[in-house]
Amino acid sequence: MVDAIATVGAKVQTASRVSWVSASWTLFTLTLRQHLHGQRWLVVGLLFLLPAGIALLVRATAPNVPPLALEFLLVMMFVPQALLPLAALLYASGIIQDEQEEQTITYLLLRPIPKWAIYGVKLLAAMTTTAVLVVAFVALTYLAIYANADVSYGEVAIRYCQAASIQALAVATYCSVFGLMSLLTKRILVIGILYTAIVEGLFANLPFGIRLLTVIYYTRLIAYRSMSFEVTRRRGGTEDLAAVAWQLDWTSAAKQAEHPQLSTSIFLLVVASMVCAVLGGWLCMQREFHVKTPENN
Amino acid sequence: MTAVVSFQGVSKWYGNVIGINKLTLAVPAGVTGLLGPNGAGKSTLLQLATGQLRPSQGLVKVLGEAVWNNAALNCRIGLCPEQDAFYEWMTGWDFVLTCARLSGLPRKEAREATARTVAAVGMIQHKDRAIRGYSKGMRQRIKLAQALVHEPDVLFLDEPLTGTDPVARRDLMDIIQRLGSEGKSVLVSSHVLHEVQSLTPNIVLLSRGRLVAEGNVRQIRELIDEHPHQIVLHAEECRKLAARLLTWDDVEGVRVLEGEQGLMVETRKPDAFYGRLPALYLEEGLTISAVYSDDDNLEAVFKYLVRK
Repeated sequence: MVDAIATVGAKVQTASRVSWVSASWTLFTLTLRQHLHGQRWLVVGLLFLLPAGIALLVRATAPNVPPLALEFLLVMMFVPQALLPLAALLYASGIIQDEQEEQTITYLLLRPIPKWAIYGVKLLAAMTTTAVLVVAFVALTYLAIYANADVSYGEVAIRYCQAASIQALAVATYCSVFGLMSLLTKRILVIGILYTAIVEGLFANLPFGIRLLTVIYYTRLIAYRSMSFEVTRRRGGTEDLAAVAWQLDWTSAAKQAEHPQLSTSIFLLVVASMVCAVLGGWLCMQREFHVKTPENN
Repeated sequence: MTAVVSFQGVSKWYGNVIGINKLTLAVPAGVTGLLGPNGAGKSTLLQLATGQLRPSQGLVKVLGEAVWNNAALNCRIGLCPEQDAFYEWMTGWDFVLTCARLSGLPRKEAREATARTVAAVGMIQHKDRAIRGYSKGMRQRIKLAQALVHEPDVLFLDEPLTGTDPVARRDLMDIIQRLGSEGKSVLVSSHVLHEVQSLTPNIVLLSRGRLVAEGNVRQIRELIDEHPHQIVLHAEECRKLAARLLTWDDVEGVRVLEGEQGLMVETRKPDAFYGRLPALYLEEGLTISAVYSDDDNLEAVFKYLVRK
């Protein structure tokens, strides 16, 4: 052991040996591993199994329900309204708070990674985890809805890719929003649930300008402008499920023009994510993360 | 002498509570002991020195650079924190390797550094076990390894010996001394005087966030030795014993404790005092059932030095 001790400090640390990219990548993978070792993915996984379970139940008990209607209700209503914010809240709320509560943040703050980058990398990891969960479980829901159905699987695959991409974008935006909130309040879970219920739940469903401030409004617009949710009525004719449910007046070109375009909606969500991420990083640079010691010195 | 760590008029407040109070201090190269009772501000000082906390007032520099928001400086700094916190699901090896990689070491170098450091702290045998199964001594060793793995120039150790068994304590002390002899600068905090004394003659004394004394341990010991020691004696014939003790020149005062169960004696020469106690029983038949010093903790010494 003495020989080994003698080698400690034998080399001199030089700046050229330090790889910033390597450090950030290690932090990213460390955060993903933390997500895997936590219980959150089990909770989120169980919640995300709900739509698939409901789809199987409906198909077993009410075979006349059109698969497209089921897809709309579960994938475009239930998942974005309830599950995406919840998944994002569970992961993004712990970006810094978990490390602080578990007192492991010291090991991160003592590395040559600026605090804004620590936040940014951990946010990216939260986005990755939630996006992977969304993509996987939405696939399961599509499978439950369309398995053995009389549909073109090629079309279903395309619809799945569209839906999964839209929801991945939405969950990433929610992660940025909740990540920022978690730096501003210690009661992020309560505040996050209230935000989800009031802003994303209530305001987004009001046919007024206030819904322009919600993530779900743009998510719906992207979905509406890129996918069709028209189902054939039993008595003939078609019904646009999304226009009715989302209170989108699509009766004239002028009315349609009142809503942001597809590219604008995507751009706004991306910009909102980036603004929240930058603000979060800036807040981290200003903040000190005091870790209470056993003696509370 | 160039200061490796310097505090220039540094204060740190937590709301209305003062953690560090107008501290001006220059820590030279080599091993320095940071000594103070619980709540003295040792951990706050180390957190300021490692850039985890921003000073409310003043400037903290390490190796000539301001530490707050200076992530690049962390390549040259290592900290063994006091809190017993880890990624518990990791193995010891994994933890140290992750810290090496977080420090920016390339994969191959990180592996080599991890192997070297894990061996240095005597954890090769246990490196593949999950940290959650480690004993306190193992946890301290692996915590020290993460501080050493990127080969920092300055090392801050916050109560590294707390809770360790005698073997681990001896090994950790060997490592710290070895680091000092290799030219590393080490600032090691403790609330136990003899622990620090056996590591280094250079000590800094803190109390209630203020610098009480700094310098060679011998000078500080002299200050401490002027402090009247309080010794408690348990005896049946308290008053008779008190009267006898008051005849001794080096006894400053005697107080009968509540219920006449014992005496509190103040003396400036505790060694001589202890040496004469057996004669009281052998020659005068005064029975003393228990003797202990109330001064073994540093609290009283610090109070005394602060009063000076």
